Amino acid sequence: MKIKYIILSILFLILVGAGVGLKMFFKPHDNINKMDASFKVEGASFINEFKKDENAATAKYSEKVIEIKGKLVAKNTLPNGTILLILEDEMEGISSELDAEWTKSNQPLIDGLKIGNLVTIKGVCKGFLMEVKVNPAVVVVNE
Amino acid sequence: MKKQLIILAILIMSVSAFGQDKFIAKNAYISFYSSTPLEDILGESNEAVTILDATKGEVVFQALMTTFHFKRALMEEHFNENYMESSKFPKAKFKGMIEGFNKDMLKAPVANIKITGQLNVHGVEKTITVPGTIGMEAGKLVATAKFKVTPEEYGIVIPSLVRDKIGKEMEITVKDNYVPFGQ
Repeated sequence: MKIKYIILSILFLILVGAGVGLKMFFKPHDNINKMDASFKVEGASFINEFKKDENAATAKYSEKVIEIKGKLVAKNTLPNGTILLILEDEMEGISSELDAEWTKSNQPLIDGLKIGNLVTIKGVCKGFLMEVKVNPAVVVVNE
Repeated sequence: MKKQLIILAILIMSVSAFGQDKFIAKNAYISFYSSTPLEDILGESNEAVTILDATKGEVVFQALMTTFHFKRALMEEHFNENYMESSKFPKAKFKGMIEGFNKDMLKAPVANIKITGQLNVHGVEKTITVPGTIGMEAGKLVATAKFKVTPEEYGIVIPSLVRDKIGKEMEITVKDNYVPFGQ
């Protein structure tokens, strides 16, 4: 009788373990649209933080969700179809790749973005490589 | 003092004269591929930055490890946290010279090249020679490279339980469209 219970509980543990394992394996990517920003920053000062001390800024912002307000200077499409919004400066500004899922359901909003206007984006900061890389990102406010 | 000024003037002049010979790609593509019996592992980034100095045929290439995107969130997590240790070594860098370079290669149709230089990944630097292509394609200056690396060469430890299941070598693919820079 006792052995039966032991076997049953072991089987139960194996099942739970397999379930947890499978859930982890198929865990989806974070939905950036639903995540709260850890920092809210102005584009120009955000870039300056990286230019002044890249290591410190990387430690502070890398892999964090940031809300950035800045001037839209370019809107490009990458070969794979991803839309790229560039804020503040085309060469040394903020480059943000829009989230593919979000893009699908927000095409009119993206088409309506005007170069030269202020825009607020929210995305994961990836660090600095000539420009600040943000990926994936969504547009929060279009002024 | 005067001499220093002259040297400075010459330096500035030479920099501006040669500055027109630089090309940049700010959204270069780089992928990392490995096959396993369970499923293929493919990490892709469109955020690498590369500069080509056409005065000497030098290529500088940098990528942020955290920009690699994988199909599964767990793969991305393992790649950054367990293998590449991206918070400790955020960038992969390559600096090399195109063998037998001359400026006409940039105006000609795409042709095969070899690039030799230093690849720095996971804080380990190695000299490598990789095959690639460069030249004009549909009015654009395009460059590609494809080569294999083994994680162990760069001090990347993969647990033995997993090691046997992953291909020994990882394939790296690079593609970029260069545009004139500093003009």
